[in-house]
Amino acid sequence: MYAIETENIIKQYKNGVQALSGLSIYVKNNEIFSLLGENGAGKSTLIRILTTYLRPTSGKVIMLGKNIYTESKWVREQIACVAQQTSIDMHLSLEENMLFQSRLYKIPKIEAIKRMKKLIYDFGLERYKKYPVSSYSGGVKRRLDIALNMMSKPQILFLDEPTVGMDIQSRNFMWKMMKQIRDEFKTTIFFTTHYLEEADSLSDSICIMKDGKIVKQGTPLELRLLFQENIIRLKFSTDTEIRKCIEILTHFFPPKKILIRNSEIIIHSQDIQLYMKHVISLLVEQNIPFQGIESIQPTLEDVFLRLTQREQEECV
Amino acid sequence: MSVFTILNKNIKWRFHNAFTIVITILQPILWLVLYSAVAGQTMKNTGIENYTAFILSGLIILVSFSTCSSSGIMNYMMKSDGSFYRILIAPIRRSSIVLGQLLEAVLCTFFEVGIMCVISLFFSVKFSAGIMGVFLIFILVFMTAFFMAGLAYRISLILPNEAVYETVMNAIVLPIFFLSTALFKTENVSGVLKVAININPFTHVINVLRELILNGTVELSNIVFVLLIFVLMGSISFIWALNGLKKELSL
Repeated sequence: MYAIETENIIKQYKNGVQALSGLSIYVKNNEIFSLLGENGAGKSTLIRILTTYLRPTSGKVIMLGKNIYTESKWVREQIACVAQQTSIDMHLSLEENMLFQSRLYKIPKIEAIKRMKKLIYDFGLERYKKYPVSSYSGGVKRRLDIALNMMSKPQILFLDEPTVGMDIQSRNFMWKMMKQIRDEFKTTIFFTTHYLEEADSLSDSICIMKDGKIVKQGTPLELRLLFQENIIRLKFSTDTEIRKCIEILTHFFPPKKILIRNSEIIIHSQDIQLYMKHVISLLVEQNIPFQGIESIQPTLEDVFLRLTQREQEECV
Repeated sequence: MSVFTILNKNIKWRFHNAFTIVITILQPILWLVLYSAVAGQTMKNTGIENYTAFILSGLIILVSFSTCSSSGIMNYMMKSDGSFYRILIAPIRRSSIVLGQLLEAVLCTFFEVGIMCVISLFFSVKFSAGIMGVFLIFILVFMTAFFMAGLAYRISLILPNEAVYETVMNAIVLPIFFLSTALFKTENVSGVLKVAININPFTHVINVLRELILNGTVELSNIVFVLLIFVLMGSISFIWALNGLKKELSL
């Protein structure tokens, strides 16, 4: 049994915007599943549907073996969601926020206090207890938001861009917590992120979305192996050099194999030695200065860009 | 149980945002203290002995309008910085969410009405209502506040921000207040205005409250009529608010 199964979900908002176009995903129990996609790909809409906040226009959603629309109360007892916007009540203290959550899920008071103490300790929130919640930094608020959502011991925890805007220390702490939640609480984590290194290092499964559809789903390794190609990376110091180089390269290489990223040109190639030799000789012949050239293995970011930015590649 | 969980949280919100209590009671108190003192002189010619006592029933309704309107503000604040969305995906009934919030507005109304009544004692207002009278006043205030809170709840889910919401609520509340018997007797009013005042259900609740406060008695037919009207209005208002919340989930 999967933790989450969706079949052909379509979501069209009443204003006509189609956010999901026949999306099917499968999330295994007790795994960290990450959803990647550009802004507007439909990630937040999907989370809203899976957390029973929105109804899809059509399609089927089964969570822990039950249909989320016919058994929504049961499903709601099994899930928790930390949205992009923190959902802490500023007029309540840290402990009051956590106890309020326990009352929503009808957890007996003694058990609730026990869980609250453990979560406060696990999430490193002890020293913030005496301060008003409104004075917390963004990172601490986010930790509290996750901690209070764990009060109900959910089987599935949804995290919508949990580390956005966090400093590196808070992000590292969050990564540690997510692994702990999966391993210690046996909770399935379904999260969205824009940070590919985060998805790469944390996830058991990754799903890449584009325009409301799944483009690819697999383990980080499977995705990296998706394109059996190596990459040549050329570094330049000015945009003029990049433009000159592109003009030359497009005469010799298929445009869809070339991608501009920041001050670099990325060339996908199956025969890396031949291509590299060819590129170097072209640049030297045409007297185009460059800072460096190297051959690299594709990262998850490269795979993501290949899958989601096809149009930009073709433009080159 | 869930109703009390929501109610308890909302009461804490109210005390944390105590300015909402001050703002909502300030205007009715100014009416009670300043307006009744100034207008009282003129009103003596119309046969009203204690004008403060006369307008108290209308101001009780005005307090209920203000307090319930401010409970709609809570939705905006909870959406932007609070648990509004988290509560919606919690395993509790949607009706409990709405009811918990409406009851907080009702409780706050009682609190503010209590303050108004205490202040009115300093203006020689004498309460003639006995235990039954007080009980009926309690029921009428409850029903008025419940209806208004439901209305405010739904409107707050429809309108995009606090500024528009407050403008619309004022546009609803002030005509209802002025086109009623809150501030004057209607014997000398005629034509369209008289019709408008008579079809305003708040005219009737104000009249019954006034009778109970000043005389301690009220005709059975009047009280039954008002109770039936407000049971109907309160039910419609609650269902409308509940549908509004359900619509939040079906964008």
